Amino acid sequence: MQPFDYIKPQTLEEASALLLQHNGQARPFAGCTDLLIRIERGFVHPQVVVDVKDLPGVHDLLVVRNGDLRIGAAVTMNQVALNPTVQSGWPLLAEGCGSVASYQLRNRATVGGNLCNASPAADSAPALICYGASVHIFGPDGPRTLPLEAFFLGPGRTALQAGELLTAITVPFVRGSAGHFLKLGRTTIGDISLMNVAVLGWPDSDVPSGSSWRIALGSVAPTVIRAPEAERLLSQDTSPAGLEAASQAAAAAARPIDDIRATAAYRSDMVRVLTRRGVERVLEEIGG
Amino acid sequence: MAIKKTTIVGQSFPRVESNAKVMGAAQYVDDMQFGPNLLHGRLKRSTVPHAMIKRIDVSKARALPGVRVVVTGQDYPGLTGLYLSDRPTFAVDRVRWVGEPVAGVAADTPELAERACELIEVEYEELPGVFDPEFGASGAAPLLHPDLMDYAAVPFIFRQPGTNISNWFKVRKGDMEAGWAEAAHIYEHTYRVPHVQHVPLETHVAVAQVDGNGKITLWSASQSPFAQRNLIAKSLNISHSKLRVITPYIGGGFGAKAGVSMEGACVVMALNAKGRPVKLAMSRAEEFHTTFVRQGLVAKIKMGMTADGRITAMQNTYYWDGGAYTEYGVNITRAAGYSSTGPYFVPNVHADSLCVYTNHPVGGAMRGFGMPEIHWAIEQHIDRMATQLHLDPVQVRLLNCLKEGQETVTGMIMHPTGLSQCIAKAAEALDWETPSKPSGTGKRRGKGIAAMWKAPAMPPNPGSSSTIRFNEDGTCLVNIGGVDMGQGALTIAAQLAAEGLGIPIEDVRVNTVDTDYSPYEWQTVASRLTWSMGNAILRAADEAKTQIIQMVAEVWGEDPQDLDIIDGNVVSYATEESVPLKNIVVYGMQKPDGTWAGGPVVGKGRFMPTYVTPLDAETGQGPRAVVHFTTGAQAVEVEIDEETGEVQVLKLVSAYDVGKAINPDMVRTQMEGGAVQGLSTALLESIILRNGQPMNPSFTDYRIATAVDAPVEMVNIIVEVPQDDGPYGARGIGEHAMVPTAPAIANAVRAAVGVEIDSMPITSEKVWKGMKGQE
Repeated sequence: MQPFDYIKPQTLEEASALLLQHNGQARPFAGCTDLLIRIERGFVHPQVVVDVKDLPGVHDLLVVRNGDLRIGAAVTMNQVALNPTVQSGWPLLAEGCGSVASYQLRNRATVGGNLCNASPAADSAPALICYGASVHIFGPDGPRTLPLEAFFLGPGRTALQAGELLTAITVPFVRGSAGHFLKLGRTTIGDISLMNVAVLGWPDSDVPSGSSWRIALGSVAPTVIRAPEAERLLSQDTSPAGLEAASQAAAAAARPIDDIRATAAYRSDMVRVLTRRGVERVLEEIGG
Repeated sequence: MAIKKTTIVGQSFPRVESNAKVMGAAQYVDDMQFGPNLLHGRLKRSTVPHAMIKRIDVSKARALPGVRVVVTGQDYPGLTGLYLSDRPTFAVDRVRWVGEPVAGVAADTPELAERACELIEVEYEELPGVFDPEFGASGAAPLLHPDLMDYAAVPFIFRQPGTNISNWFKVRKGDMEAGWAEAAHIYEHTYRVPHVQHVPLETHVAVAQVDGNGKITLWSASQSPFAQRNLIAKSLNISHSKLRVITPYIGGGFGAKAGVSMEGACVVMALNAKGRPVKLAMSRAEEFHTTFVRQGLVAKIKMGMTADGRITAMQNTYYWDGGAYTEYGVNITRAAGYSSTGPYFVPNVHADSLCVYTNHPVGGAMRGFGMPEIHWAIEQHIDRMATQLHLDPVQVRLLNCLKEGQETVTGMIMHPTGLSQCIAKAAEALDWETPSKPSGTGKRRGKGIAAMWKAPAMPPNPGSSSTIRFNEDGTCLVNIGGVDMGQGALTIAAQLAAEGLGIPIEDVRVNTVDTDYSPYEWQTVASRLTWSMGNAILRAADEAKTQIIQMVAEVWGEDPQDLDIIDGNVVSYATEESVPLKNIVVYGMQKPDGTWAGGPVVGKGRFMPTYVTPLDAETGQGPRAVVHFTTGAQAVEVEIDEETGEVQVLKLVSAYDVGKAINPDMVRTQMEGGAVQGLSTALLESIILRNGQPMNPSFTDYRIATAVDAPVEMVNIIVEVPQDDGPYGARGIGEHAMVPTAPAIANAVRAAVGVEIDSMPITSEKVWKGMKGQE
């Protein structure tokens, strides 16, 4: 494994300056469950790794004044998945974070790191996208905020610019909502997603079906994606026929590839199946 | 020998070493401390599957400060191998698989060793590769070992000059034409098994050091300390007495640590290290494809059956993907040949089992030694034919399975066996006749069964030996050369010694292996220790006991026939006198006249089968192909998700004839562990190789079953039809436990949803695709 320097800055400004100074050769990290393996296997060769765990606010996991959930960049998967407030208010997120890797890894792995890796198979991302989450970024020009959907640019690519780092995630509260995260793995637990589906629905008297929906799909496109046509169809009709049409629309939104884990054809069909199952379960909970 | 009532054999004692392991105190090779002089070894490996080595330049590596040793194939060109000496320690002029060692480096730190490996320049001239065994066996394939016929080999493998076939085991038995003519139904099909890896918790690790007298010590996580001593000494052309192998506890093996894989390289580096110890440890990625893997298989089965399900003929061809070197794999091919029909009486057989060189990882022993692979084909084939003929799979198996006195495929007369009982009991415990209701809509259930047989696969004459020495306080030390890799060999040794001596098990210590002090054992493989080493221990115990009884008889003036040792005391049935073993087993006993009898008690015992016969090269026939067969069956119930194809194993019943369960709980846990490993290979495991490159050498994409993937319910049934030459009638069970699992699950899947899976593993996607095809 190639040697590197380890630096643990105390302020956001210092961290940003370090990243800028070593532009391209410095990597921020929190849990290091991914970065260290990538270094060890020679996929990345940073000269400097920047530990974000001493930065202010990165361990926050709290509900802020407007009812949103704020997750600091270094909050671990287990801290989110096992938190009673998250479980009651953002159950879809708890399910997504709780399905990442293994229990031991979830003690180290962070939601922030999961997002910054920008893997299309990141299990926390579909739930966050369904809740309409934003990411808070700090950089040479100070802080900025982006919708999470705009943060992902491609596999391993994010909207972070030189000198920028993710500091926190804000997750809006969606009143009356219910959600489920459905994941297909090869083993019962601990596997990377062959594909996954996050479904969030809530009562909405302004739409014909009486409920509004967000559906996000993982591991079936270069980034986690929404299935807008499926969402639209469900707002029109949640009868079994409507559900089937929406599930097929979700499958049509997927643009998966063949790889050693699964074929594109299987992944697409599983989007259909798991979307329908997810919507059915949510419907049972929100009525409709 | 009349079997008298036992008090220790047949009891489920806890494992003798479990406290140390549970508390993390047990020492493994990686835990051993060698001080600041320790050098860290690393291997430079081939990046291409098949190439001539045009040039190796190690000068930059040698020049790196802190690098102490750099060796290449030019320095040590000797070949080695358990059955066929075809494997160099480091590639000499040609590389044959991705991962083959081309150079070795030892340096002051692991980082320096790694850096030095990067600095070694190797120039390859790539050659066309062989990536399929059927192609490899054909005349169109490039020749991977032009010197095949010059390699040293055991007499019972049959190489084919001018081909990639390093062993061709043939069976020609009966009258095939008559067999096909008698059949009401003939069915022919091809099945495939991918390469898998053993994935023991502890990866391969070795430390070697040369002392001032030129004696080499190798600390090795090995199933085969004596075989390692033998093979390494021979390949280096040194005396066996100059090499000492020490094996402490090892963290699992499953066959991966049988024979020699990377240990020779460690010794070669130590020979150049000026007395400093050199450590070589495999990373998990290296473990996946550079030590040993389970060979791949293409199996073509043609079978004839009468309308009532009797098998009339079988024509089976097994193309084994032996990999770059088949030093061990040739004997897997042989085992598959003499077991080629599965556990059935088949009067007419035409079988070919071919070991084929490919540019894939090196095939070696793995739990089952070819049997899980061929049973994947045979046991599915029988099931499909039963269905095609509208017959019950259990009844078809009961009709055809080998019974005592019938001829096996090689003409050996089958010994007493509980196979029929195992099949019937497994079916009964699964409630075979009664379908059960799925857990919900969109789910379907099915039941499947598979039977098996397996003989210890080894040379005709693998020996075991044991010594028992007493301590002053009446406790004793049992020395063995067999390795406890988690299967419980130490505990079985302690139980057999205690039973044989007549002392409490608490008074028995069993040593781990040091070839300078432990008696010889061929290898810890083939599920042979309980049987073979067990016999040696009983003989050693008998000799020690005889020494003690003769001494006491002399002193007491009694007939030795009237004396026995019970619970650590010599007792007289004639006079009801008794004396504890304490003191008398070392100091002897004083006679009434003041003189002395006896002396330190040392018992020794040995065992080697002497009755196995060669088989005819053209027909595979001979009176005694093997020592014995352990037989058994598994029955499983699965539930399938109709939409996703996911398979859940709800219940798995194992029933095996172990002859005699020395420790019933350990037998049952072997059955359970084997079933879970079998399930894991059935549903998940495959080393994905693309043009020889391993695509998934990590647990990210090489998934194995964990506790949550295990069957919801497991039942383990012990059948005991004694083995005539087994200790208290015992046979092995370690490997057998995973042999029928994969086909049993495949049969259950077919029963549930009608999908036939020819190629392991049974992934959700394959089941899904099969169901789509039915629409």
